[in-house]
Amino acid sequence: MKDANRKNPESALMMGEGASHMKRLGALAGHGVLLSVTSLSAVAVLFIFYFVFRDALPFFKEAGRLSEFFTGVNWYPSAREPHFGSLPIILGSVLVTVGAILFSAPLGLAAALCLSDVLSFSTRQIVKPIIEMLAAIPSVAYGFFALVVMAPLFQNEGGKILAGFCSLICFPLLFLLVMVLGDLLSTWIQRDRIRLLTRIILSSGIGIPGLVALGVLVHRISQIQISSGTNALNASIILGIMALPTIVSVSEDALSAVGRDLREGSYAMGATRVETLFKVIVPAAGSGILAAVLLGLMRAVGETMVVWMAAGNAAHIPQPWYNLLEPVRTLTATIAGDMGETEIGSAHYHLLFAMGLLLLSFSFLSNLVSEWAVRRSKAKSA
Amino acid sequence: MRLSTRKLLDRSFTGVGLFSILLMGLALLFILGPIFSKGVGALVFRQTVEHRRFLLDKLQRGSPKNLADEVRQVQEARQPVYADIAALDDKITSGPRAERRQYRQYQEPLNELKKLVRELLGPLPGESVPLITTEQYGQTRWDRAEKKAQQILFIEEYDYSDPTKMGVRILKPRVEQFRGTPVEPLFDYLNQHLEEMLRPRWTFYAGFLFDMPFDSYMLGGIWPSILGTFYLTLGAMLLAAPLGIVAAVYFVEYGDENFLSSQLFSLIPRGKSTPESSDSLRDRAFKIAVQAERNMVSMLRICVSTLAGVPSIVFGLFGLAFLIQTIHLSETKSVLAGSATLALLILPTIIRASEEAIRSVPHSYREAAVGLGAGKWRTIWTVILPAALPGILTGTIISMGRAAGETAPIIFTAAVSLGTPLSPLQALSQPTPALPWSIYVLSTEHAALDQIRHVQYGMVFVLILLVLGLNFTAILLRARIARKLRG
Repeated sequence: MKDANRKNPESALMMGEGASHMKRLGALAGHGVLLSVTSLSAVAVLFIFYFVFRDALPFFKEAGRLSEFFTGVNWYPSAREPHFGSLPIILGSVLVTVGAILFSAPLGLAAALCLSDVLSFSTRQIVKPIIEMLAAIPSVAYGFFALVVMAPLFQNEGGKILAGFCSLICFPLLFLLVMVLGDLLSTWIQRDRIRLLTRIILSSGIGIPGLVALGVLVHRISQIQISSGTNALNASIILGIMALPTIVSVSEDALSAVGRDLREGSYAMGATRVETLFKVIVPAAGSGILAAVLLGLMRAVGETMVVWMAAGNAAHIPQPWYNLLEPVRTLTATIAGDMGETEIGSAHYHLLFAMGLLLLSFSFLSNLVSEWAVRRSKAKSA
Repeated sequence: MRLSTRKLLDRSFTGVGLFSILLMGLALLFILGPIFSKGVGALVFRQTVEHRRFLLDKLQRGSPKNLADEVRQVQEARQPVYADIAALDDKITSGPRAERRQYRQYQEPLNELKKLVRELLGPLPGESVPLITTEQYGQTRWDRAEKKAQQILFIEEYDYSDPTKMGVRILKPRVEQFRGTPVEPLFDYLNQHLEEMLRPRWTFYAGFLFDMPFDSYMLGGIWPSILGTFYLTLGAMLLAAPLGIVAAVYFVEYGDENFLSSQLFSLIPRGKSTPESSDSLRDRAFKIAVQAERNMVSMLRICVSTLAGVPSIVFGLFGLAFLIQTIHLSETKSVLAGSATLALLILPTIIRASEEAIRSVPHSYREAAVGLGAGKWRTIWTVILPAALPGILTGTIISMGRAAGETAPIIFTAAVSLGTPLSPLQALSQPTPALPWSIYVLSTEHAALDQIRHVQYGMVFVLILLVLGLNFTAILLRARIARKLRG
């Protein structure tokens, strides 16, 4: 029936040709009601844009505010001569979000690949509820956890925790790197025994200095003292955990949309699973994965409670600017925290709406891009 | 690359994937573990006699006779403590002059000690009843009482002698301050007889959920917050569910089928004499209309997906700027404004879930309904919606969980930190405390953060339980209705 509709759109009518005009008019009226209710929810979006824009505009009316907003570094909104330099706050948002994505994108992608191609069906049934639960926990609970459990832990044992994680990631990576490099560099040798010898020499030549360097690095890291447990890193980790479910489920959808035929073709050519995944499946699902990362990014940028409670709320640029161990303040936390203290109609009030507008525009743009990416990946796999 | 290296890479990648999944599970455990284990402590704990006194005085719960007995025994056990303090007090204030001078140095430490004892056991005998509720009672929880006793026994100091490191905590016995005074035996006695002085007993305090808070959550329960969250969630769902389901019906049943243009054009009669020119004109117009309708529907879809991506705090800004300041839905923050804001937030979720549910109704259902002569409306009402109901319900309940846990949208539109429970009518115009916001306030802005950790954990526990419970209900419901429909 659907296909028939496609061929001749006019036959979509459920009423026959002989139906009375009254009946048709009734159907149209009903349709009109449905359409108007539906567009109500769409109109809401336009309203949000309009009203946030309307209240943000007065802030930029005064000359020089626009450049101060994006480039100023002095944040004294309630001083007698107020300064609204929001660069530290914008940077804070960027820092926390990038930290979260750096942490959650590789992890999420690995988990999604594992879910779609490695795990058995029954194991997947166990993993799915874990992801759903991670997605369902309210943000204020994450914030509370970051503030009450993570922050003291960071403050007291920060260096050791960092060093532990660093060694957990770096030592296996070093091992793999050494094995692969040793192999690659010795392929040109023809005779088996000499090649093996070269490999061993090369591997140990790279591996031992690497080990020493890593050991020194880990030791250095373990000496780090974190002065404040509520910092960008703490918020980043929690935001990363919050973004994980989105990234995993969206990219898993994209990965399973890539058909069996591609996988089987690749296996038939003699590729191992990881080669199939990274040379065939991931490129084929690339735009879907991009959409997943973007959606995760949006979740992290727009999150309020975690950064408000656990990022430290210090409106200054960390030294150096990428230092995740210092407290930062984000756009969302500023809006949430300052709105209660501002006078309605003051420049500070309008500034907060300008920040909201910035967030809104960013999420709108990344939403469009991710929509486009999803559509593209669907068109590709269809 | 050699085969063995390739296999090694393959295995190590599998390891990475498994590790990341394991990490997610561990993260969940690591987060829920402390919250659950400490959150239960708000409901199940060892209550002291002070808590029973509080319950009887303020909430008329418990038997007065038993309590009177207990209080008498407790007072007996506390007598030596009070006597020691009174003895030193006497020496400082009313002894012979030489003795008074000698004992003057103990005034400061004694005042400190009295303050701590007051916090542990309630007002000292002979003192007037304090106005603040919390000060009328000693420690109501045994775990807090033990900490307080520790504070009495030891003075906590920080050693900053090594400037390169953070301060090191040192515990100094307080008894040192009182060597050779009548108070000296107090510390030993306190250490050994603490249980007799407070008589802790395991209890399940359901009132944590249903009692009013006293002194900003120092005592009592969290009922106003729970009720507020209930109102907000229910309101959001009542507003969003009908809109969302209608929109989903539209997108699935009408959006794909060029319904509007085909209906409109069927009203225009087709040229009977079929002169080629006029009919082709009609066809061309029809094509344009179809294209326009398609564009409109895809615009609507983009709007819905944009709505899903709007940061939650921006919803709060919108609620403030539009609902409260422009159309004056209520004079100040109110439950109604908060519900409306939350409804917008969960609308896309409901639309998506319902759309998916309606789309998954088999096409044969539609064909059968049409074959029996049902019109489009009747098909939707009597066949498609009932069949899609489990999916729709699941989506709605899950988004209720989302609405219950969201904080940012209600900060400017509905939530206050302290308030009384509202009647449904008051909810239209008045703000309310709500669980997520109370958690924030209690864990960051409260004056005695450390003393009400159990309340904070308890609140988070209740909120997570509520949200997970809603999710779980949704899954159960779906399974049950699906079975019913099948059978």
